[in-house]
Amino acid sequence: MKAVFSADLRRRVEDLAAKYPSKSAALLPVLHLVQAESGFIGPDEEESVAALLGTTPLEVREVVTFYTMFRRKPVGRYHLQVCRNVSCSLLGGDAILDYVRKKLGLNVGETSADGRFTLNTVECLGACEQAPCLMVNFDHYGNLTENRVDEILGELA
Amino acid sequence: MAEAKTFARALGGEGGWSVEAYLQAGGYRAARKALGEMTPAAVLDEVKKANLRGRGGAGFPAGLKWGFVPAKTDKPKYLCVNADEGEPGTFKDRYILGHDPHLLIEGTLIAAFAVGIHRAFVYIRGEYENIARRLEAALAEAYERAFLGPDVFGSGFALDLRVHRGAGSYICGEETALLESLEGKRGHPRLKPPFPASVGLFGAPTVINNVETLANVPGIILNGAAWFTDQGLPTDGGTRLFGVSGAVARPGVYELPVGTTLRDIIFTHAGGMLPGRRLKAVIPGGLSSPILRADELDLPMCCDALVRAGSMLGSGAVIVIDDRTPILDVLLRVARFYAHESCGQCTPCRLGTAWIRKVVERMASGGGRPGDVDELARLASGVKGRTLCPMGDAAAMPVLGIIQKFRPELEGATCRP
Amino acid sequence: MPTLTLDGRTLSVADGTTVLKAALEAGVSIPHLCWHPAFVPEGSCRLCLVEVEGLPKLELACSTVVREGMNVKTATPAVRESRRRVLEFLLAEHPVDCPICDKAGECRLQDYYQEYGLTEGVYREAKERKAKKVAIGERLLLDRERCVLCTRCVRFLKDVTGTRELGVFERGAHSEVGILEGKPVASAYAGNLVDLCPVGAITDTSFRFRTRTWFLSARPTVCPLCARGCSIWVDFHPGFPRRPGSAGVYRVRPRTDEAVNGPWICDRGRYGYLDLHRRRLPFIYWNRGGQRVEMSREKILALVGEKAKSLTARNQGGKFGLVLNSNLTVEEFKVVRQDLLPRLPGARLWFADPPGGEDDGFLLRAERTVNRRGASGLGLDLAPFGSTDIGQGLTVLVVLSPFVGPTDTAAGLGRALASVETKVLVSPVETGVEGLFDFVIPSALPSEKAGTFVDGQGRSRLFGPALQLCGGAWSEGDFLSSLAAEISRAS
Repeated sequence: MKAVFSADLRRRVEDLAAKYPSKSAALLPVLHLVQAESGFIGPDEEESVAALLGTTPLEVREVVTFYTMFRRKPVGRYHLQVCRNVSCSLLGGDAILDYVRKKLGLNVGETSADGRFTLNTVECLGACEQAPCLMVNFDHYGNLTENRVDEILGELA
Repeated sequence: MAEAKTFARALGGEGGWSVEAYLQAGGYRAARKALGEMTPAAVLDEVKKANLRGRGGAGFPAGLKWGFVPAKTDKPKYLCVNADEGEPGTFKDRYILGHDPHLLIEGTLIAAFAVGIHRAFVYIRGEYENIARRLEAALAEAYERAFLGPDVFGSGFALDLRVHRGAGSYICGEETALLESLEGKRGHPRLKPPFPASVGLFGAPTVINNVETLANVPGIILNGAAWFTDQGLPTDGGTRLFGVSGAVARPGVYELPVGTTLRDIIFTHAGGMLPGRRLKAVIPGGLSSPILRADELDLPMCCDALVRAGSMLGSGAVIVIDDRTPILDVLLRVARFYAHESCGQCTPCRLGTAWIRKVVERMASGGGRPGDVDELARLASGVKGRTLCPMGDAAAMPVLGIIQKFRPELEGATCRP
Repeated sequence: MPTLTLDGRTLSVADGTTVLKAALEAGVSIPHLCWHPAFVPEGSCRLCLVEVEGLPKLELACSTVVREGMNVKTATPAVRESRRRVLEFLLAEHPVDCPICDKAGECRLQDYYQEYGLTEGVYREAKERKAKKVAIGERLLLDRERCVLCTRCVRFLKDVTGTRELGVFERGAHSEVGILEGKPVASAYAGNLVDLCPVGAITDTSFRFRTRTWFLSARPTVCPLCARGCSIWVDFHPGFPRRPGSAGVYRVRPRTDEAVNGPWICDRGRYGYLDLHRRRLPFIYWNRGGQRVEMSREKILALVGEKAKSLTARNQGGKFGLVLNSNLTVEEFKVVRQDLLPRLPGARLWFADPPGGEDDGFLLRAERTVNRRGASGLGLDLAPFGSTDIGQGLTVLVVLSPFVGPTDTAAGLGRALASVETKVLVSPVETGVEGLFDFVIPSALPSEKAGTFVDGQGRSRLFGPALQLCGGAWSEGDFLSSLAAEISRAS
């Protein structure tokens, strides 16, 4: 069953698609758009996106499952992504991850019961001079200490 | 040093990123010169003479790459700016994109002019969402002033430049996987030949260049190839953005001449080690480059010297490892990273990286057994040279490098009673 | 026409030929899983790496195009080592299912391990457990542990059928082939996926666990289920002495024929023809009030011959009706025209063929028999047999067709046949209307005959017997010439 996209979303998708030599090339940016609205790309969203871009729901799923940032299930309002690559680990990234886990009471991959937080680990975020780092949704935080983590979590409503 | 640095604005943030600030600092003069006073062939020639090597990781000469695109073709040509910046330890392009986006736009414009390309995309990693918005704002400014669009500077040259977001995949930094991703597909690298210069985006001739590579082009055109090579080495010209991270006092991006030694970069510019820590090892060019020991710091940081030393300059990302870090921990990050990022297409990378990860994780959690290090060496050499794309070597060579240089320490991890 | 040196031999190949194709043409085998002649090179299995003189790394044979003067070596130590390493990776995660895997005996991984591996297993980690029985189609099961991600199946459904039911999901070692829920492989060519899969990842539920491939012998023949006449193999098991019913045809597969069907056949033929081999009639019999009384060939010949002779003696040949079908061979049609009909002057001739269907734009043709052109080429009148024709005073009707009945209602056909004194059915398979005939003779399937078809493209297709005649079967050609001989015997 197709997901119902608002007229505004549909228009934005079509505008985007028109900017490419072939509509299906707009798939990744379109999936970002749809995910920003729907929170995740489920079977219904796959069908709607496929119809709008002239591809098949199967090919949409092939793409969704390939890329780390696309989600097939909803995440919390604040998606915490803690880097576990080398530069961050050299400066205590693992300890920060442990601290975040304890503070939130979540294991990696879990979402809090109230739906506010999801915790995941990610690979290099491209901000190694500020290691250790994490991202909350699209916002980047570096030079983390336990205090800084407390501050950040406190700012998140 | 008193001379104007190419990346002073990107790194220092003086004046801001807007087109007004850029113009005030002399921006878009190089592009006007190229489009107004030079032929595309002359521009191409200048970049060739400058020996501008690619700054994404492969170090391939940019001018040479541009020259591979056929002059006469009935297909549209494309230019892709590789802003995927996924190589662990690398963060330099983020500065250019975020703080001096017009430098990139100008470089892209000149490159497109040189090769006769009218459509370009910036493929930016999805995690750089906020930076992508800044870049889009800069693009809007450029279009508004006809620095982009159907009639750039009234010269008749047309260039359409758009931002395209990735979605979390290191392999999409490999040029053919980037093309697949830009076409809306899974990021599976393609067989080469054919090369993108003849069959690229949508089957058309395509040039793919790293952000920093293109950002060097305005300087070369404005000041000449000799100015560029003089700053660096004759075969490897200019300055590079060395991103230093790890156990140093002043991690950050440093614009330094190609050929600066690793020792200088770490101790003169990045402030040396953090208090109380000693240098144990350095990864010189991003996680894919084989590790160097503390006694190898006097290497000049240029493509050829590092290859001769059994490593590579890669993305110029210097990761400094201190003596408090077990080398097994570094190996663990390596093993996890490549297993996570393997696209899964070809047998050796798909299964080899997974196998390596299993062995290393077992070692790291105290389950190491005699023979593990030999097995890892065997696995990595099984992957090396047999994969569809360079990521196989990128996965294998760091493992081999760590084993080669730190074997006794690794063996120690397998002898737990 | 570049010249290539391959393991010391000089070969001249067509422009654009790859090293792998050149090697195959020259009878040099280079291991490969992902390459298939019907697709563009994929280059992902990495088994076909070979040494090309002058190049620093090993190169893929499947995608390297031969250039003039190229010198290729396929058996150097480096190449052998490379194959061993790639195999080692494949086998590390591959389940040792051989004892229960249908593919055993015709599995490329097994074959390559025998030839290029034979190394001790060094994998000591825990293998990934994955789904082993994913239903991806009506008769298709996917075992993800066995899958080597060659993607032939995905590419077949993309490039050949265009139905695209299979995709590759996830990334890296988590990659898996799959369908969308509720959207299984529905293509009419799905059976080809089982042949295509180089290992036992995709299996056919109609074949699963029924036998072992090394008991089967592949016999070549032609499929008679449409005018394409695809070249096929029938896989025959001679049976175990103490297992009644174990002998027979277990599988029908495509036989690559560039001029006819390439490497594929449709499911209609694959499963339809297999099914025909299982629906045979037991013996010649007289239908005595619902009871099947076995008869000998001599007896039935004498009976029918007698009736025929008495009709011709009284110049009443027109009361003899003969119904043929378009799956008889050219040679059998010749017997009818040259031997039988001259001895039955005035006999009425019809054809009972299955109704036409849709041409599917690929292999399946609208005509659902294979030798219409063979019949018409001999000048035989192809008047279609409808049961209404029978009321025209036939006293003897010999139907050599399994296609009578399906479109007529049994009641209608029964009524029409009731007026015919002697009704004989000669059919290779049970048709459901045996009860309406007085005598039933089991005949042969084309796979049990030698002969010629003229297919829908006008090509003469000569084939030898693939199988021995089943049990009580009597090939139509043999029956017809025996009948002709019987008729011409002086009373």
